[in-house]
Amino acid sequence: MTQQTLPTVLDRNIAPQLRPINHIAFLAPAIYNLKNGAKLFWRNGLQNETSKIELHFAAGSATGDPLTASLCAGLLINGTAQKTAKQIQKALDAVGAYYDVSLSQETTVVTLYALKDQLLKAYQIFHESLFGATFPPKELQELVHERSQKFKIQQQKVSFLAQRFFQRSLFAGSVYAQQIQLEDFQNADRTAIQAFHEQHYLKGLKKVFLIGDVSEDTLDSFQDLLNVFESNTKERKPFEWKPEAGATHIEQEGALQSAVRIGRPLFNKTHPDFCAFSVLNTILGDYFGSRLMSNIREDKGYTYGIGSHIVENNNFGYFVIGTEVGVQTRTATFIEIQKEFERLQTELVTDAELELVKSYLMGQLLKSADGPYAMLDLFANVETLGLDLSFYDRYIAEIKAVDAQKLQALAQRYLNWDQMLIISAG
Amino acid sequence: MIHFERFTLDNGLRVLFHKEPATPMAVVNLVYDVGARDENPAQTGFAHLFEHLMFGGSVHIPDFDAPLQAAGGQSNAFTSNDITNYYDVLPAHNLDTALWLESDRMLSLAFTPKSLEVQRQVVIEEFKQRYLNQPYGDAWLQLRPLAYQKHPYRWATIGKNIKHIADATMDDVRAFFQKHYHPGNAVLCIVGNFELADIQQKVQHYFGDIPAQTKIARQLPQEPTQKRFRQKVIVRKVPADSFYYAFQMGKRLDNDYYLADLLSDHIGNEKTGLLFTELQRKKRLVSEITAYITGSIDNGLFVITGKINPNRTLMELDDALWPLLEKYKAKKMSKPALQQLILKLQTAKAFQDQGLLSRAMNLSFFELLGDAALINQESARFSSIQTTDLQTYAQQLFDKNRCALLQIQAQLP
Repeated sequence: MTQQTLPTVLDRNIAPQLRPINHIAFLAPAIYNLKNGAKLFWRNGLQNETSKIELHFAAGSATGDPLTASLCAGLLINGTAQKTAKQIQKALDAVGAYYDVSLSQETTVVTLYALKDQLLKAYQIFHESLFGATFPPKELQELVHERSQKFKIQQQKVSFLAQRFFQRSLFAGSVYAQQIQLEDFQNADRTAIQAFHEQHYLKGLKKVFLIGDVSEDTLDSFQDLLNVFESNTKERKPFEWKPEAGATHIEQEGALQSAVRIGRPLFNKTHPDFCAFSVLNTILGDYFGSRLMSNIREDKGYTYGIGSHIVENNNFGYFVIGTEVGVQTRTATFIEIQKEFERLQTELVTDAELELVKSYLMGQLLKSADGPYAMLDLFANVETLGLDLSFYDRYIAEIKAVDAQKLQALAQRYLNWDQMLIISAG
Repeated sequence: MIHFERFTLDNGLRVLFHKEPATPMAVVNLVYDVGARDENPAQTGFAHLFEHLMFGGSVHIPDFDAPLQAAGGQSNAFTSNDITNYYDVLPAHNLDTALWLESDRMLSLAFTPKSLEVQRQVVIEEFKQRYLNQPYGDAWLQLRPLAYQKHPYRWATIGKNIKHIADATMDDVRAFFQKHYHPGNAVLCIVGNFELADIQQKVQHYFGDIPAQTKIARQLPQEPTQKRFRQKVIVRKVPADSFYYAFQMGKRLDNDYYLADLLSDHIGNEKTGLLFTELQRKKRLVSEITAYITGSIDNGLFVITGKINPNRTLMELDDALWPLLEKYKAKKMSKPALQQLILKLQTAKAFQDQGLLSRAMNLSFFELLGDAALINQESARFSSIQTTDLQTYAQQLFDKNRCALLQIQAQLP
């Protein structure tokens, strides 16, 4: 790094000179084609002892009945014909391993963390449990009970109520609108869970990400183990949006705050407007200095936080604003959000604000690419959409190129208040 | 092993530098030795409110965030009962921007009556969002004054009640700054691919002229050893009864901390822990149960908490828990079980140490505790623990006379 010369006397009124980010190197992992057709992506060169393996299965909440998918994921490592849940957990404890299972709409990601010398050993235990899961009735009964108790607590949270209603309305008429109801828990069906496991896990391996400085031999052993899964996954057909815009309020007696979700269908990274819209979204609500934060938190004090986001899935993307505001300032908040949409539609963003947001986004991208774990996540985010790392070079070029006119046109096209779903609870 | 360099400016600012050649980013972490425990009992929530005001502009810079964002960086902060920690993460080549911003707000704040008014309101909304508008959200607001009667840990970081925040004046806030925000009361840690000489020069350049101020020795009333069991029952509109058994434990640097950390994992783990296997699975009294420690700098709490199953009662749980703890005290943990616990902790630590920010925060925290090098002794402190130590400690810890119990009872419809 070249050294910047500091002036001898500090003038605190003058900001240090900024230097732009000229280049970010994006590194692809090594790719192995498993015999079953799934791909294994491997990243090494960590310079530390950590490692993890991440299995992606076509077993998300929308790939079947959402309760079945959720319970199946919850019971994956909870007993085989040979071992009880407790025995499995003890075996994983003995090698210091951790795991988590996370369910999204299309995919379930099962991640195992361990020190690199223990990873294969941990995975062997894990693999046997996942592959040979028997879903013991007793474990199922316990999980159903625990989940329904947690569900009752969730139902008292305004954020949970607003989010659920928002999702249901946004995805109206599609599989994504299906949600677990409290009364569903009593109909949990072990046979359906077993069938789901068979179809979506044993036959549904989509890809595997491995990170850590393991040996080539270890890598071969992983491949042998992973090959016992089949990979008969098919992509879902694109679906049609049919949400009805408009406002709905869910009253909750005694609430001090209302949770708010405002949004609309949008697109994911595969759409030509994605990069430019990312800039617009950041200006509106996706960083601490955003217009929504400056207005609704830092000027009015209506909320602890407010943000806008682009949420992506393999098939689609949507736009959403989320916040929790005092019950008595809910309507005022709506008016201010609407004003911010209109400002973006009618006034050009100033050069200063645009430059700031561009630099901010570049810095955040540099951070997102920092280190093997972060880089592998960046890769996974585009790979899943059928894109490659060249997307980020394009993203940088488009961010640099976008101007105020383009942003105004995007605001006019995508940020119309009367096209928004407006949900509040509390 | 986390390597670091250390130097102190003439004005008393302690500085740590941790070189990480593999990153294009830099972390600037600045911890101030002030937390909610340093507040006046009649003006609680100030350390945290103050943290919000630190983003409201400083003497030469009207807006803290914009210059940092323009440099490609971002910033945040948190306040605990012990400390207030600010951090900036930005591209390494713009390190100066973070040092310029942090040094200016250490020098002097310039917030306006408007920013105080707005941040008071923001904090009140935070109070509602986190503590009042959530089921069980106020549990710690209730538990703290039950478990602590003398020590200022008896109030939460957010404050005893909203009124203390609503009543904060410009003068109060200015006085708080003058007392706690000065170089001798802070630790600065920089992480990134830099050279030490460069860091020394830059830190001297930006922070060197901030006037020194005498650090006032902290004199907090320490919590006496509890003599008798305490219990409080509150009724709330919640879906299930819940309980918080809080046992008195030692300070962050005491042996207690390491013993309690292992014990809480041992009895509290899901699937294999004693609480889960006996009370959740075997006796079916609870739908969830766990154990954890607060890990505070002064005497902390070891907490057993969970939720009661429908048709079971808080009393049934209580009747089952005490004999279970007695049984646990009577039995020594096996050596392999202890080794597993330690291996799991070390694995978790290896993952935690991956993050630049986490390294910067931990180094700063240990320096504030007396010596950043303590960070590299943590592992050995865990490894040196013997099974007999754990048993002896469990016998001392699980003493009903040193327990405060908060029960939240579901309101009948």
